[in-house]
Amino acid sequence: MAKSTALIFGYNKYAHEIISNVKDKYRAIKIFSLDETDLQNSAYEVELFDLSDEWSDIHQDVDVDNSMAFCVLEDTAQNIFLTISLRAHFKELTIIAIASNKESANKLKMAGANKVIPLVETTSDIITNMLEKPISNKILHAILYEESDLKIAQIKITPESTFKDEQLTSIDWTRYNGIIVLSVMHEDMKSEFIYSSKAKHHIIREGDILVVVGYEADIVEFENKIGSKRYVNWSHWSW
Amino acid sequence: MLKRWILDFAYYLDTSKSYQRRKRFFYDILENDKNRYKKYIDTFMITLIFISVGVLIREVKFHVNDYLMFFSNYIISFIFFIEYILRLWVSSSVSKVIVNRAEHDTFLHQEVNLFKAFKEILRVKLQYMLTPKAIIDFLAILPFFHELRLLRIFILFRVFKLFRYAKSFQTLSSVLATKKFEFLTLGIFASVVIFVSSVLIYVMEGNNPASPINTFFEAIYWSIVTISTVGYGDITPVSHEGRFVAILVITAGIAVLAFTTSLFVSAFTEKLDEIREIKTIEDVSKLKKFYLICGYTEVAKEVARKLSCSKNNIIIIDENNENIEAAKKDGYTALNYDPGEIESYKKLNINMDTQVKSILCLREDDIKNVYAALTIRSLNKNVFILSLLMNDSNRKKLDFAGINSVVYPQELVGLITKELVGKPVAFEVIHELRSETADVKIDELGITQRIVDNFTTVGDLGNIDYRVVLLGVYKHKKDRFYFNPIDSTLLDVGDYLLVVGYHNFILEFEKYLHTKVKNG
Repeated sequence: MAKSTALIFGYNKYAHEIISNVKDKYRAIKIFSLDETDLQNSAYEVELFDLSDEWSDIHQDVDVDNSMAFCVLEDTAQNIFLTISLRAHFKELTIIAIASNKESANKLKMAGANKVIPLVETTSDIITNMLEKPISNKILHAILYEESDLKIAQIKITPESTFKDEQLTSIDWTRYNGIIVLSVMHEDMKSEFIYSSKAKHHIIREGDILVVVGYEADIVEFENKIGSKRYVNWSHWSW
Repeated sequence: MLKRWILDFAYYLDTSKSYQRRKRFFYDILENDKNRYKKYIDTFMITLIFISVGVLIREVKFHVNDYLMFFSNYIISFIFFIEYILRLWVSSSVSKVIVNRAEHDTFLHQEVNLFKAFKEILRVKLQYMLTPKAIIDFLAILPFFHELRLLRIFILFRVFKLFRYAKSFQTLSSVLATKKFEFLTLGIFASVVIFVSSVLIYVMEGNNPASPINTFFEAIYWSIVTISTVGYGDITPVSHEGRFVAILVITAGIAVLAFTTSLFVSAFTEKLDEIREIKTIEDVSKLKKFYLICGYTEVAKEVARKLSCSKNNIIIIDENNENIEAAKKDGYTALNYDPGEIESYKKLNINMDTQVKSILCLREDDIKNVYAALTIRSLNKNVFILSLLMNDSNRKKLDFAGINSVVYPQELVGLITKELVGKPVAFEVIHELRSETADVKIDELGITQRIVDNFTTVGDLGNIDYRVVLLGVYKHKKDRFYFNPIDSTLLDVGDYLLVVGYHNFILEFEKYLHTKVKNG
């Protein structure tokens, strides 16, 4: 199920971008800063925190297990310390952290972050793709960030799904013109490309997630045809 | 009348495109190192030089075939003569001198003074003819008159012509030229020591019947052999006075040798970076296509690594020497040039339209990136510029500076978190497709005439047989992407197929598209 509260640690440009992109997806957003001056200058309500905090206050105010933490402190060492501190206190908290490079990304993962965004690698990936594969980059960007009518969706196989118990390769996907099934995620949390040798013999089970690309209307039609719905569950994340 | 005719002819030559084109052509193949044909001309001339020197060596003790002698004496000399004339021709423009004189005199309302123009022509041509290279070229023609035995030795001058073609000789002479003053000082010192010691040894031993030194020439010969620390031993002083002089000369010889060695070493050490830079620039100017990265930052390191993995040539310029050293250590061609200075690009001596794929301004400073972009734009309007944006409020400034594409890392973080929060699995799938390490990749396959001849529609492609997902077709002419196109969609030359699949399967599919025989 979707998380209800976003906890953002660090009040900087990254925090601003995250807030503007995810504010509609959460019931509440709580921002924490190490710097006292942020309390006065902020457009949002900012709370002060200390890296040596025991986080007892947060526990009282927020349903931590149903929250998502974004660790975006610009100092890598502080960000790692914050992540390890949060993980030590909250085993179930989903933590997304930013890292300047691969080295600190590994440390953040060791510190307990569920997902790390390595800034340098991500930026360089985007730049390289823009230069070397401009068309695919443009299309993927449009699909992923919904800049066009094309959308990517993840559809969970329910007990009512027509595909349930069918072999993946035996399904005539051409019946569902308009959408393309890219991959399937099994219960082992591994995403498999639709034409992989593993996926070839895969029997679709309840709980599998299909990743499909298509126009909104076609995806809705696909959902209706197979009797499954789009679904987001953080436990289905392939970290 | 004659004057009028000469002036008209000079103006005609000066404005004639075909004449200028021909002259330019000969200039390029003779003097322009960047010309692709020059190396063939150079190789041809070097071969001729070796043939004529080979003939000279053979001739010392053996009879040389008459035809070969004829070839060496006449044909090669004639080719060298033609080369000399062509070099003299392209060294300066006679018509330009006359036109300039005519315009100068007309402007001052004077009668055009052709005499002054001819004087100027003579001056510039003589100036060229008296350069060491031109003198060697001239002397290399002289064996043509080989009947004069003295002139036959001039064949040796053909060997000196090698200097013209071997770059390392030019580099060596340019390095040593930087220490002209030191070498002159050393030369004077050595000459004084040789002269004084020669006089002394001659005075001390000239009249001694036991001494082998009988003439002043022998005294000079002994001094030079001793001071150079060669010491053949064929002539040695016999008197105590003479041996005392020998001690002085030997001591001075050690000093001269040490001084000479240190001069060579210091000249090369000082010029080493410059020599390397010149070599790097030469290499860069020969590259057909490359990415130019301004600033070797963390992002630039990753971008350079990824681009070079796809077999792209990367050139890095940065004003910070530490960054340049790091780039060199990482194996890239890097130059310590400021990306914000026009001079940097001029020194690089590149054609931005044809050689540069894209210029990437990847410094983590918007001001520096804007400055570099404006500098590049002032030189070239068309080259694709991509820049990092560090502060969103500067986006418009970057656009205004002529940057084609901007990457704002903070925005990426926002977009990524949005997708991560909303569709984590889908995000992972797309992220995997983009990742360089993933097995499954997204690729663009260009549609060529050959493919269109064999596969008219999307339905003919048979991508499913190759386990490749056809995401869509990008129609180049319409600049539109057709997602999941129906089988009857026609393919046109210039379109791109966007396919997803295992890298090897995509390669197989691409191979199949290109090799399928019509109706086969």
